[in-house]
Amino acid sequence: MATRRAFLAGLAAAALPRMTWADAGSPAWLAAGKAEGGHVLHGLSLAGDSVFSLPLPARGHAAAAHPVRPLAVAFARRPGTFALVLDCARGHVTHRLTPPPGRQFNGHGAFSADGTLLMTSEVVAESSAGRIGLWETSGFTRVGEWDSGGIGPHDLKRLPDGRIVVANGGIATDPQDRSKLNLDTMRPNLAFLSDRGAVEDLVELPPDLHRNSIRHLALLPDGVAFAMQWEGDPAEPVPLLGLWRNGAVRLCEPDPAEMFTMQGYAGSIAAVAGKVAISSPRGGAVMVFAADGRPLATHRRADICGLAPLDGDFIASDGGGGLWRVAEALHPLRAAPLAWDNHIVPV
Amino acid sequence: MLRVLLLSLLLAAPARADVAEVVDTHVLPGYDAFATATAALDRAAQGGCDADVLRPAYHAAFDAWMGVQHLHLGPAEEAGRALAIAFWPDPKGLGWRAQRALLAGDPAALAPGAFADQSVAARGLTGLERLLWPATALPADPCPLIRATAADLARMAAEIRAGWDGFAAALLEPGGPGNSRYLTQAEARQALLTQLVTGLEHLADQRLGRPLGTFERPFPDRAEARAAGRSLRNVTLALRALRGMAMALAAPAEAPQTRAALDRAVALAEGLDDPVFAGVADPQGRLKVEILQQATRAARAAALAEIAPRLGVGLGFNALDGD
Repeated sequence: MATRRAFLAGLAAAALPRMTWADAGSPAWLAAGKAEGGHVLHGLSLAGDSVFSLPLPARGHAAAAHPVRPLAVAFARRPGTFALVLDCARGHVTHRLTPPPGRQFNGHGAFSADGTLLMTSEVVAESSAGRIGLWETSGFTRVGEWDSGGIGPHDLKRLPDGRIVVANGGIATDPQDRSKLNLDTMRPNLAFLSDRGAVEDLVELPPDLHRNSIRHLALLPDGVAFAMQWEGDPAEPVPLLGLWRNGAVRLCEPDPAEMFTMQGYAGSIAAVAGKVAISSPRGGAVMVFAADGRPLATHRRADICGLAPLDGDFIASDGGGGLWRVAEALHPLRAAPLAWDNHIVPV
Repeated sequence: MLRVLLLSLLLAAPARADVAEVVDTHVLPGYDAFATATAALDRAAQGGCDADVLRPAYHAAFDAWMGVQHLHLGPAEEAGRALAIAFWPDPKGLGWRAQRALLAGDPAALAPGAFADQSVAARGLTGLERLLWPATALPADPCPLIRATAADLARMAAEIRAGWDGFAAALLEPGGPGNSRYLTQAEARQALLTQLVTGLEHLADQRLGRPLGTFERPFPDRAEARAAGRSLRNVTLALRALRGMAMALAAPAEAPQTRAALDRAVALAEGLDDPVFAGVADPQGRLKVEILQQATRAARAAALAEIAPRLGVGLGFNALDGD
């Protein structure tokens, strides 16, 4: 194996065809977790087996997978002072990204379709004003930044047409301790940016939902699904899932019997043909909705959070080390001796 | 001799308290009592709707609910049962709105099968309280709705108790075939620890925190079960129940600080002469409720510091992260 790796490294050095994800064991997903020995990033096969694991220096939040090369960018938790570019084939850190002075990473990032640009959600530390940091991906140097169109951006995704959609959570946080500073006045939005970074459209929630922080995103064939976290009175039942299509937003109420199941908190979101799922580690549940927003099912499992598409269903991960197929019920895929972190990222 | 002693220590350690103890001494008797009390309330309501006659049975049912209301897992969570049994807090007044519609609407909605599908906000103990202690004159004869609500409560209580036969097995035999809820004993323990800790949290933040509001803006009228005059009684009973659960999860000798903290909170509640927390609006009375709130939070901290490590579990990795 070492010989093969060395051989491949030699090939790469000679600028012959670059390595691909196949050289990292063809993972279907990336998922971070905390094991006995420390924090790790795993590449997972479709069956949920680990095809590689790399140590992380601290708890990660999400990762971004390069579209072609076996590179993962692991983002630190907020307030993020670093992100690591990991060569998943050779098993080492190739670059350590540090935001410019006065900026902090905010948990997520995305590559351009051709993989030449990495976009990172960031805030101006003092004001929480949102920025999208831009990094070229041959040497991972900073090449610029865009306005994210709001306060406290978290997740961002690249749309098939090249535009970028950003979940501006609306929450201004203390740069040191993450405490929330503007809950009375927060106004989250969904921002659509051109591929040059121009803010083309801002979608806001109705005024009585201005405390519903838009934080995570999943692409639909014809739109964007977004998951929210409620910062208002926990006794108020509010929708935690929104569907944006052609400029119109549909907010999706849960089944009335489950109106507080998620405890006002959706931690991850994923979409497949005809279905959208959101998860709540606080409520210990995954809720599945139809593409039109009707609630379909609620599945309970403590500390469940990570969600990604799995062949028409979903894969979910939990803090107890479980990986699940979310179909008509939760079916166990694998159990590992570690705590899976918030997100599962498709490669 | 030493070997014998060591062996007996090893044997003794896992047997004392824990999941089975909680299920056998806390959960099942608690739901038995709730099923019995709601059945009695149902019988009383089918016999007549005189509020004076029904109120003692109502109180007995609510008392029994306070013994198990903190258990947000299993059959109580399914079909929105716990939510329907006690829909509180209700800052938007959803319950009364739905009840007014039921009072004025088609009586077919009150038939047993149909009533189970009515809004969770309209049903249960909270709904019944508005009918037995009406704030203003009711727009129609409440008797059919009282009967439907009492019958519905008894139905849900019986379903929860019946459902626990199977759910107890899932807790007690983690990792068994088809058991996707609990894969390991640690997960079963974590689930129960979470009920204890969040039960104390909810008591401090909601049952006490809602009427307390802030010093500048207290909200005495937001106390739970205020019309029935049992806001403090609910707190006292909930604290006693949570103490019982804590001492089943870890024997008193293994969690002395938790025991002491819960004893103190219970004693403070028992010594408080403020049945609906009206005192939160004046500085003296407010201080007493705040002290009770602090004692509840101290008990939560003690349970996390003492019982969690004993069980070898903590709260959820992601549940606490918040991002």
